[in-house]
Amino acid sequence: CAPGPFPLWGKEGLLCKMATSLLRLAGRRCLCVHFRPGPSMQHLAPVGTTAKEEMARFWDKNTRSNRPLSPHISIYSWSLPMMMSITHRGTGIAMSLGVSLFGLSALVLPSHFPDYLDFVKSLNLPAALIYSGKFALAFPLTFHTWNGIRHLAWDMGKGFKIPQVYQSGVLVLVLTVLSSLGIAAM
Amino acid sequence: MAAAVTVGRAGFVSFRGGPLGVAVQVCRRAHAAAAAAPATQASARIKTFAVYRWNPDNPGEKPRMQTYEVDLNKCGPMVLDALIKIKNEMDATLTFRRSCREGICGSCAMNIDGGNTLACTKRIDTRLSKVAKIYPLPHMYVVKDLVPDLSNFYAQYKAIQPYLKKKDESKQGKEQYIQSIEDREKLDGLYECILCACCSTSCPSYWWNGDKYLGPAVLMQAYRWMVDSRDDYTEERLAQLEDPFSLYRCHTIMNCTKACPKGLNPGKAIAEIKKMMATYKEKAASA
Repeated sequence: CAPGPFPLWGKEGLLCKMATSLLRLAGRRCLCVHFRPGPSMQHLAPVGTTAKEEMARFWDKNTRSNRPLSPHISIYSWSLPMMMSITHRGTGIAMSLGVSLFGLSALVLPSHFPDYLDFVKSLNLPAALIYSGKFALAFPLTFHTWNGIRHLAWDMGKGFKIPQVYQSGVLVLVLTVLSSLGIAAM
Repeated sequence: MAAAVTVGRAGFVSFRGGPLGVAVQVCRRAHAAAAAAPATQASARIKTFAVYRWNPDNPGEKPRMQTYEVDLNKCGPMVLDALIKIKNEMDATLTFRRSCREGICGSCAMNIDGGNTLACTKRIDTRLSKVAKIYPLPHMYVVKDLVPDLSNFYAQYKAIQPYLKKKDESKQGKEQYIQSIEDREKLDGLYECILCACCSTSCPSYWWNGDKYLGPAVLMQAYRWMVDSRDDYTEERLAQLEDPFSLYRCHTIMNCTKACPKGLNPGKAIAEIKKMMATYKEKAASA
């Protein structure tokens, strides 16, 4: 509305006070002009739409456009709580898969579990390898358990200050390593 | 900086006039020149800024990083100061949102050195060997350069009805709705949100499910109205979140609270909503 209807009102004289009220009127006139349905309609923020309609318009507009998505996981700096969160999910999936595969193989494989255990023993693997293998098996269980307790505390609304989140995270890691070492030594 | 202060003080003295003023002014000129000279010659502190660029008017163009070199001795302390300096003096096409430059409008929210924050309240990292990396808020459709499309974020805010709702509106406007000091205190740490979207766009759950998950900023405002003692629609507000996505995509990753430039705790607010969800009377809401 760059030129505006200012000249139309010019006849009434341009006293300083009137000028401001005229400007206000001019603004209103501009609004009226723009809200009239027409080609300019699509550029305007819609009035009286529901949140749902606005969301639909957003997705419709952006998926049809060639706008890029701004970078996310590749540029966001990793923090300890973030890393532990993805590890919690990772260990959960790994254990579900592990237990299922173990059960399935017990069902499918021809021999019994003690036979396979004896076979592993007969290989005379170095102790360090056995120990780290046991640690790798124990780690998901212990991490998921300790971090699960951390999640239970959060579910009670406790420990949400950022320093507390870091402290509980470090505590979980220490407990995980200690308990995994203990289990692996058994 | 030192030169600028000297000019200011001397200017004040000379403003009062008189022969003394003239003398001081002459003195000031000499002083300012002496202070400015070594700053430009000896110790230019050049910091490199790598800024995300994408222009919708160049069809087929892919987003790229453009680097600018700024002398920190001639630049304000905040990242926004550097961006404004770049736009004013080097590249007028650089596009970003900014308004208040004091952390209350939320316009200049962006990803700086891997974390979401407000450019106006984020100090420039003065380690000159490190390149400052500036991206738009993560996982958002880019309108241009550092400007993301926040319409979905605003629509989600609208969806939680962020205003006082009364069952009985007959007393509306007759007298104020009185609140106890304790009830008022429940809103502290919630009402200060400026809706800059730093938290929501720091949340991986919001990245992957931004269409159905409301995200930390909007959920914290939902909670702000749930705990308002003057609002009568707490149960209905809770019932509105009864689906697998709106609320429950929060997995307590806590990026939100870590990012919040206002020091608020959306992660905690979401946990409080989850607690309320477990105990509220669903029947009361549907009735």
